Amino acid sequence: MNRFSRQTILPGFGIEGQQKLSDARVLVVGAGGLGCPALLHLAAAGVGTIGIVDGDTISESNLNRQTLFGHQHTGKPKSSTAAEILKEKYPDLSFEVFSDYLNTNNALEVISLFDVVVDGTDNFGTRYLINDACVLLKKPLVMGAIYQYEGQVMAFNFGQIALNYRDIYPNPPRRDQIPNCAETGVLGVLPGIIGTLQAAEVIKILSGVGKVLAEKILFFNLKNSSFYEVAIQANPSGRNNLPDSEEDFRSRDYNINCGLAESINWEKAMDWTLNMNDSLLVDIRETGEKPLLEKEFLTRIPMKKIKENAAALSAYENILLVCASGQRSRQLAHELKQQFPEKKIFSVEGGILHPSSPLNLNKNDT
Amino acid sequence: MEKLTVKAFGIIAEKLPEQEFYFPQQQDTEELLNSLYDEYPDLRNMDFSLAVNQQLIQQNTRLRGNEEIALLPPFSGG
Repeated sequence: MNRFSRQTILPGFGIEGQQKLSDARVLVVGAGGLGCPALLHLAAAGVGTIGIVDGDTISESNLNRQTLFGHQHTGKPKSSTAAEILKEKYPDLSFEVFSDYLNTNNALEVISLFDVVVDGTDNFGTRYLINDACVLLKKPLVMGAIYQYEGQVMAFNFGQIALNYRDIYPNPPRRDQIPNCAETGVLGVLPGIIGTLQAAEVIKILSGVGKVLAEKILFFNLKNSSFYEVAIQANPSGRNNLPDSEEDFRSRDYNINCGLAESINWEKAMDWTLNMNDSLLVDIRETGEKPLLEKEFLTRIPMKKIKENAAALSAYENILLVCASGQRSRQLAHELKQQFPEKKIFSVEGGILHPSSPLNLNKNDT
Repeated sequence: MEKLTVKAFGIIAEKLPEQEFYFPQQQDTEELLNSLYDEYPDLRNMDFSLAVNQQLIQQNTRLRGNEEIALLPPFSGG
């Protein structure tokens, strides 16, 4: 009996399947909510070499879903920390750490080192970047993505038709309708399920067991415990949008930010508010929230009432929203942008509590 | 009486009264989209792909009766 005996005795998997995993090189992009469970299962299954790409560090609010990490890891880099944790569990496996985000300069070089790619990123820009790079390099790509209580899983560049993300969604969404990823709620178990499904597809691709999710997109709804499959096929107009060469790929801009509405820093926000009469700074905190701020340049409209107070905004071109920390203002900016697509809606970064906020009473006291 | 079953996913479901509902039968998917846009104007600004009977479609597709329509937005979260 060895570590893999329970899978090598499986009909159809066997010693051969295990050997294929052991010989394989898998790249996991994003060691976050999807990447952590995917990494854990790929390593436990015995994938010989695992690359981990992530430029981010671990924060406390990651821990509900980024299950490789614990409290003691906060502040540390995700990619190298994930590799250390897994190496300690499975010393015979190799881990390759890429501590930068993927971009048009490094993506082809990094991806070309691996056999299969797992996309566990959290934004459309990187998803299109990885998709296009994997199409160019003909690398199988297992993409997973989530939205609130739902997830989707797809396996690309695999099988007879070799489909890709642009066959389903030919272009990235328009900027003004991308929900803010960083602040969208997520129940940690959802990416746990989707990331684990991604690992399962990778293991099937490598070992040859089962039927890979290659011509279908699989949706999962956690609230209903339901799956929904949709068959996909090649989309010529989507394929027209693919880069036709590595040079073309390198020259493209995949920097599609998660920002529906835009954010603005305090310095600029105050400059506009005080010097431009088409800009309105709005305190959207609920009535009764402290500290109560009475400033000439600040208009108070609680967020619940702002949509019915459209008249108060009508005279202004730029609406700058402020809350305590910048979270609610980002959410509301997104909603208001849909109501007023012609206006520029900004969320003031960091809100009232930001160190450079002129409304931060704590700071002014000291 | 023939009718369509509409299933909405992700952020699209937030723009509609229910995640799944019946809708009067339409001739084709273009007519369906226009009727949905009239009924639910918020949908107009959304990007999504359309599936008919669990098959993704890429162009206007004739509807013959009682199809299941899925409105499928891309998800970006991880």
